[in-house]
Order: sequence, then C-alpha cells, then structure tokens
Amino acid sequence: MKGHHKLRVWKKVVVLGLDGVPCSLLNSFIDEGVMPNFARLKEEGTLCSMTVSIPEVSSTSWSTFMTGVNPGRHGIYGFMELQKENYSWRFPNFNDLKSKTIWEIAGDHGKRSIVLNIPSTYPVRPLNGMLVSGFVALDLKKASFPEKLYQYLSNIGYRLDVDAKKASKSIDEFTDDIMQTFRKRKEAINYLYESEEWDLFIACITETDRLHHYLWNALDDSFNPYHDFFLNFYRELDEFIGTFYSKIDLSIPFIILSDHGFTGIKKEIYLNAFLREKGYLRFTKEHPATFEDIDHSSRAFILDPSRIYIHLKGKYAHGYVDEDLYEILRSALREDLLSINVNGEKVIKEVYFKEDLYSGNFFDDAPDLVALPYDGYDLKGSITKNDLAGNSNLTGGHTRENATFYINQKINCDNINIIDVGVIVLRLLGITKGNLEGRPFFLDS
Amino acid sequence: MTEKGKKEMSSRGLEEKINFSKNIIREAIERFNDRLVIAWTGGKDSTTMLWLYKTTCAESGKPLPRCLFINEGDVFPEILEHVDAVKKMWEVQIIELKNDDVLNKIKQIGDIVKVDDLNERNKRELEHIGFKEKEFAFEPESFEGNHLMKTVPMKLFIEDNRIEAVSTAIRWDEQEARKEEVYLSERNNPPHTRVQPLLHFRERDIWNTIHKYKIPCCSLYELGYRSLGARCSTHKNSDIPAWKQDLENTPERVGRGQHKEKIMEQLRSLGYM
Repeated sequence: MKGHHKLRVWKKVVVLGLDGVPCSLLNSFIDEGVMPNFARLKEEGTLCSMTVSIPEVSSTSWSTFMTGVNPGRHGIYGFMELQKENYSWRFPNFNDLKSKTIWEIAGDHGKRSIVLNIPSTYPVRPLNGMLVSGFVALDLKKASFPEKLYQYLSNIGYRLDVDAKKASKSIDEFTDDIMQTFRKRKEAINYLYESEEWDLFIACITETDRLHHYLWNALDDSFNPYHDFFLNFYRELDEFIGTFYSKIDLSIPFIILSDHGFTGIKKEIYLNAFLREKGYLRFTKEHPATFEDIDHSSRAFILDPSRIYIHLKGKYAHGYVDEDLYEILRSALREDLLSINVNGEKVIKEVYFKEDLYSGNFFDDAPDLVALPYDGYDLKGSITKNDLAGNSNLTGGHTRENATFYINQKINCDNINIIDVGVIVLRLLGITKGNLEGRPFFLDS
Repeated sequence: MTEKGKKEMSSRGLEEKINFSKNIIREAIERFNDRLVIAWTGGKDSTTMLWLYKTTCAESGKPLPRCLFINEGDVFPEILEHVDAVKKMWEVQIIELKNDDVLNKIKQIGDIVKVDDLNERNKRELEHIGFKEKEFAFEPESFEGNHLMKTVPMKLFIEDNRIEAVSTAIRWDEQEARKEEVYLSERNNPPHTRVQPLLHFRERDIWNTIHKYKIPCCSLYELGYRSLGARCSTHKNSDIPAWKQDLENTPERVGRGQHKEKIMEQLRSLGYM
C-alpha cells in the first residue's frame, strides 16, 4: 500500500454556513477587533471571497452548494415559480430538488451526517443521520428527522427562523427575536455536535441575513440606534465560532461559507413596472394582485429577483410569443434592461441568456434571461409597484460577488464559486466527485 | 410488523395483495358491522379501497358500510364530479362532513379567521394542538387548517355516532411518516380503531388495480396530478398522466402541501413577492 500513509486517517468534515455574510465584512471586523476569534482562524487558514449562483438568492445558492451541480441540474432557480397552466404561484421545496445532496452521497458511502438549518431543505428527506430544515420551513415536525430530534427541538423551544415580520412593527422586537433565535440555534448546534456521532457536520446561521436585510444601514452609521446591536451581534457570533472551533479536532477540515454577499440598497428596482412601461407586460386589471391577472398578449414577465421569462406559445396556457420571435425578443429585452438608468446611473451590469448560465435536464425550466445589477440596486419581481424605482424598509440586498469561503488550511483561492464547495467537502470525506460539476481545485495534485 | 415482513408483503403479486386486503376488510366488517365507516376522499387510493369493500361485501352478502366525505373547504370540482358519479353507480351512502363554524367566517382561501369568533369546540381544538396565535389565514391544509377542517369534523362524527372503526387508504410507500403504520391501529382521541387495508399497496399497484378492474378514477390524474388534496395547495407533478410517470423514482406527494399563504408571508417579510 505504498503512498497510502499520506491519506488522512480522519475522514471527517465540519461546515458552518453564515447566510448572507460578505467576505469584506469579516475582514473589516477582523481588522477592527470586533472578531478576534475569526482573526485567529484567518491566521491559521485561508479566508477568501467567493462568487455564487445566479440568481444570487439563498434557495438557489444553497441548493448549488449542497448538490455540487448547477441549477439546470438541481432545478431550483428561486423561491417561487409560476404554474404554466394557470399562472398561480408554486413554491419549490426540498422535494423539488432534483439532485442528490452531499449528505445523501456521503450516506451512500456509509457516512453519517448531521445537517442543521441549511435553507431549502424543507420538508425533510430521510438520510443517514439527522436533519433540521432551514428557510422556508413551516412546521417543526416536518422539519425534523428523525422523530426523536423533533422531541429534543420542541423541548428546548428551538426556533426555525427569525420572525422578520416584526421588523415592520418594532425594530426592538425584531432584534430581540434575532438574539433569541440565534441563541436557540447555537444551543442546538452545540448539543448535536457533542452528543451525536457524525462524519459530516453541517450547520447554518441565518440570523445574519435577517439582520443585514433590515439593519444594514446601521453598520457604518455610529449614530444609528442599532449600530451597537449590529456590532454586538457579530461579537457574539465571533465568540460562538471561536468556542465551536476549539471543539474541532485539529486534523478535521473546517469550512465556513456564505451563500451571497451583501450591500446597502440605494434603490429597489421594480423590473415588472419597467416591462409594463415598455409594453412587454400587461395585466387585465389596473392593480393586479397575482400573475393570474396577466393579459394574454403579454410577451415577458419577471419573477424575483431578476428572472425574465418569455411568454412563449405552447409553454404557457395562454402563451403569446411565437417560437421564431424568441431570439429577437430576447435581444430586445437585453438591450432595454441594460439601458435602465436611475438618477443618471446605470442599474444593470449584465444580462445573461439561459444558455450562458445553465445546462442539464431541467434547463427548460430555466429563466430565459437573468439580470445582474450594479451594487446598490436591488432587483425585484413585484407586480404591485407602478414606479421603476423606490425604497422600502429593507436597507440591505444581496450581491453575487463577495460571498465568503474559509478553510482551516493554507490554500490558493482560485476563483472559487459556491458550486465548488460541496465537491470539496466530499473530497475531504474521501469521496470522489463523480459527475458533479464543482472543482475541488486545491485538492487536485 | 418487521421491516422484512413489510418488504415481503409489498413485493407480493397484485392478486395476492388484493386478497390480503379483502381478508382484512372481511374481518373488519365482521367485527364492527355498521359501527365501521369508510373515509373516502375521492382520490385514487380511497376509491380503490371502496371498490375492495364493494367487492368483498358483494361476495359475503353484507351491506356496504357508509362513507365519510370530508369537505375541507376547497375541493376540486373534478373530485366532486367523480364522487357523485361513483356514488350513483355503486349506490354508496355518503355522509358529508365539514366545519361550518369556520367555513361561515370566510369567503376565500387566505381570509383571516379570528380565533375569538370560533365556537368553544374549535377554540379548544386549537388549544389542544398548541396553536397560540389570535388569528390565522384560512388554508385547508395548513397545520391549524388541516386540524380544524379535517380532524375535528371526523372526531365529532365519531363521538356523536358511537363509531368504532374508520377505514382509511394510507400506504406504507406514500411518505416516511406512514412507514410504521399497522393494519389495525388503535386511536385514543376519540377511542376508535383505524382499519388500513391498503398499507402494502405501492403506488404502482393502485394504478394496476384501477386499470385491471376498470375502477373509475378522478379525471385530474390524467392531467398529471399524482396525489390530490385541497385545490389551493395541490399542483400537477407533470403534464403526463399519473400512471405514466416515473412512479418508482420520483416522489408522489411533491405536488402536495403547498401552504402558499404561509410561505408567501415569510417570503414577503424578506422583501420577496
């Protein structure tokens, strides 16, 4: 067995997800002394900026992480879809994920996994190990596998998610909820880490994303009444990461990742209002409530955040656009979208065609075009807005760049994308990537 | 039953499975007589079960037990059509159950129901399942909606009519939560026996039985639905008929449990929709 002594004996991996945490924010907090534990982690390992899936939303990004394939293969393009036969909403969930997850693949190799709060894992699918679903999770029972895990979680008063509705009523109640949910999350993570046997341990903190959405404006403004709350939250997060890291055996790879970056919102951009103004989209009512009110002569529409669909004949019940006009229409839409201008600034950085981004068995379900904005412009698929641009009580929005990747080893970060991370995890567990798309680049020799 | 026993049962031939189910049905009728009712949703499984009851009763000269049809407030018209047609053809006696106290307070799915406005029984039932909010958006298959619209009317009917057994068409392969079920299962609240004669049927067996014996089935299955629930929370799995889909490798209940109002509420609170 020559040469085999070089292989790691411990084929275990620990992954911590930090929903919506930008790499640049961690670097600033390290420099400013807000995150002394992370400073130590950075010294011992590698912290680098990562790009994520398009569109840059949690459901798509985490699904790409957990499957190691692009949305054309895993099938999750966003939080909502339209039913082609009647234009009513449909909300893809974990059952709609078309590829195996890394913990299911690990399970096939006899490895046991503990998975907690990764978004888009509701309702649970059975696995070799334990799983607590993440956002959007409705019912704790359907969010826990096996049954005995449900007993434990309900006993400790575990919270599936922050009630972000509170932010519209009272920020104090919202920040309280963030802390309570975060503390229950930590309790469950620590308990499962210590009391269970595992080969792969994956847990995710989502309170970060909720905080950023509503209080991003408090980050750089020391006069903002919630500035201290923002910093104190990160101090507590840092303490948690430090303590958690100290429990992990030095020989075990420890990965931290986020599913997108974050930035301040200058303006929300309501792309459907733009399509209506340009005549691409019409509704049968002046104030449409749902896409069921769409006028059949519409040529295109947009679903959150920036997925553009051509209203094709034969594809939708009342499709309007002939197949042979598809390419012309796509080019026209791209040109129009790139021309959007707010207060003298360009809004859209890039418009992709579906074949630029996706491939696989579920390519047909992909949006026909996807727009990517310049930082500061938050693209929205709302149909209730009449103006092109506006503001809401959300002050932070997602970015495709500047997501976080960390590992407790010195490596060269070679243009890492979130699709690589699941495959890296499998490789570290001693499992070859098979037909997955991610590149375990620093492990290739 | 052991895991091995269940596997063995599930892998038997179709006729053997049908005969096994008929034996369970025969014994249940023998034991409970007219204190047994059949829960019939109009779906493929419970219609197959009803056919098994009809056949068994015809063979043994017994009357067909009564059927319960629960109207949860958002039934597909296609299901009502199917139920009506089968009712006439097989001369089925149907008792329709619904929670009028809740239904009188709403006009459509998503309407807000205030807990204070509900009758004492419904209030108590919400308390019993640990529901603590002051109001909820009406959805027949949400956690609280399902309890109020399906479980409560069934409980009341069992209590008021001294029912001893309810026969349902659940199957082991349908979902994880049903894997531990047994053919005769004692329930406490209220006390009664669940008769579950179809546990060992796989989804494929249901379709094979329906086609072999020309059992009528709801037209929605031909459109691509594989599992039927309330109209607002059920969608098609595919555009091809249910029985032509890849039943063995794709989940049956993907089209179910779209609790849209609740999901939308959470998505809206993060700026989506």
